[in-house]
Amino acid sequence: MIRADFVTGIVLILGSLYVIFESWRMPRMEHLGAHPLSVPGIVPAFLAAILIIFGGVLVIRSVMLGGHRLGLSAAKAREVLARPGNQRLLTTGVLTIGYAGILIGRVPYALATGLFIFAFIVLFEWKKGLAPARTARLVGCAAILAAAVTLLVSWSFERLFLVTLP
Amino acid sequence: MTAVLLDNLGQFLSALGTFLTPLALFHMGWSTLLGIVIGALPGLTATMGVALVTTLTYKLNADLAILILMCVYVGAIYGGSRTAILINIPGTPANAATTLDGYPLAKQGLAGRAMGVATTGSVLGSVIGMFFLATLAPLLGNYALKFQSFEFFWLAIFGIVVSGHLTALQDPIKGWIAGFIGLMTAMVGQEGIHAYDRFTYGTTELMGGFALIPAMVGAFGFAEVLTVMRDPAGEMAGNPRDSVFPKLGDITKYWRTIIRSGLIGTVIGIIPGVGEDIGAWVSYAAARRKSKEREKFGKGSIEGLIAAETGNNAVVPGAIIPVLTLAIPGSAPAAVLLAAMFIHGVRPGPMIMVESPQFVYQVVAMVFYATLAMGLFGILLTKPLLTVLAIPRTKLMPVVFVLCAIGSYAITSRVFDIWVMIGFGLLGFVLREMKYPMAPLVLGIILGDLLDKNLRRGLVLTDGDITPFFTRPICLVLWLITAASILLTIEPLRRAVQRAWQAARPGRGQGR
Repeated sequence: MIRADFVTGIVLILGSLYVIFESWRMPRMEHLGAHPLSVPGIVPAFLAAILIIFGGVLVIRSVMLGGHRLGLSAAKAREVLARPGNQRLLTTGVLTIGYAGILIGRVPYALATGLFIFAFIVLFEWKKGLAPARTARLVGCAAILAAAVTLLVSWSFERLFLVTLP
Repeated sequence: MTAVLLDNLGQFLSALGTFLTPLALFHMGWSTLLGIVIGALPGLTATMGVALVTTLTYKLNADLAILILMCVYVGAIYGGSRTAILINIPGTPANAATTLDGYPLAKQGLAGRAMGVATTGSVLGSVIGMFFLATLAPLLGNYALKFQSFEFFWLAIFGIVVSGHLTALQDPIKGWIAGFIGLMTAMVGQEGIHAYDRFTYGTTELMGGFALIPAMVGAFGFAEVLTVMRDPAGEMAGNPRDSVFPKLGDITKYWRTIIRSGLIGTVIGIIPGVGEDIGAWVSYAAARRKSKEREKFGKGSIEGLIAAETGNNAVVPGAIIPVLTLAIPGSAPAAVLLAAMFIHGVRPGPMIMVESPQFVYQVVAMVFYATLAMGLFGILLTKPLLTVLAIPRTKLMPVVFVLCAIGSYAITSRVFDIWVMIGFGLLGFVLREMKYPMAPLVLGIILGDLLDKNLRRGLVLTDGDITPFFTRPICLVLWLITAASILLTIEPLRRAVQRAWQAARPGRGQGR
């Protein structure tokens, strides 16, 4: 955690410095006769200044505990990625972002949703060496659930809540 | 005083009558049941449930929509106790303290008894909180009329600092960082004084800032989907074979604990952005400190379980008090509720007791009905409801995510809001992994606008003189608590204060 705190502290400081720079560039509204303390940049700059202090505390605290020695290596990254939990996380991330961020809006909603649910169930429930009969059952089950959820969600949002589907 | 109480009671009874229609009762029934199911399913939190259901209530009138959301909220906080008792995984974060004694009881073959105790505690906690909602909200509402820019500025800072501190007791700076990131997030979009677009970079979608519901659905829904799929699945301690009916003896034996936990829960609820989980933990800790059966805590103590469940459900009405009177949420689900009120044209805040005092009593009536439905379903449907726990996460999570995506989109029919949901989901997941609490982040997003306008207005009013920010009576109290909350996290300073405190109380100090 101390390494994560070190990186977070650096990100906070850099991000906040950028916010202060942007706040400084915001108009002062002098042409409108606005009070100088009512300008749009004053509050973001104030918040950024506080976040710089917090970021600084995180950095100092983690450096004192040796958190600045990140110890990154390809072998360690491979080891982290090989953990079953992280593999599940990565698969979930790819599926969900692929569905919501890429498919929705480009492919008809019902098709995208059905494909997503089907792929999600099959990918997570299928295991190497699963008997053909059980594989067929899994695929059938996933297809039925995908179709049922897609129909129900599409119908309820379109007809009941009067939403134009993406 | 009696006349005021009678008037309050009259308004409450009249509000109760408003919802005695078949349609309202139908909505009450399904939404409380849905709330219990959402709470019981690991990975579906109360905040996520209220946020998702908000997207389903756009077309309803305000009263029914808020009633449904309230029932989901109350039901979900209670429903989480099922999972905590049977699987040792809190169904919602609010039920984390419930696992300590609930699961050991289930392991001893007393799962049914534990669930009965959880039902008793939850109902009584809600009732105690409801009493204070009915009595304190009107008082606080009238008092809030005295608030000006200076007070609102400090209220925002106070909320962030205290919420940050209490939700990250091990490392308060992380709570504060989460809160200030939330405040900073609220700076995106057109500001309210000169209508200047801040940090929008010419994007029209960002002119209104980040929409709250997609952000919450992301931070609590998508982030939870990622967490649930990453973590290993839990195992059930076994279905309850004993009776789930609550015992009167539990109430008479632990009435002190129940009242204390109800009071603690309500007070924690009133503090901005703290929430049910802290209410449960503080109630549990207080019960253990005062208990005659301290040694049983953590090994299957009925008293510990009743304290945790009374405490978390008492937070619900408590958290609604600042929502109604100050438009500041007391917890994360209450934040969604606040956003839903705005969407439905209800304007909570200091003017509510002037503009629509009856709404306060309608909300009390909603909590009453939700509590009633929760108690009924808790007793009658406990065993059938447990079948939902058998749904594998690999089938449940894709459905939840589909609802997260379409729910975020449905508010304004913008694909951009789906990206907001994804962005906040990833941010929420990363922050949670690094032990940053979510409640201050959400509170920050809500309070950002309040802080922004009131700091600038206050400075303009005084022509740059900051003295009133520190000398007005309410400001003085707020900034002193805020400063103490920050300064007392500095270890040497805290030790010095402790020494001074003990020196000032020689009788106690000598004994240690």
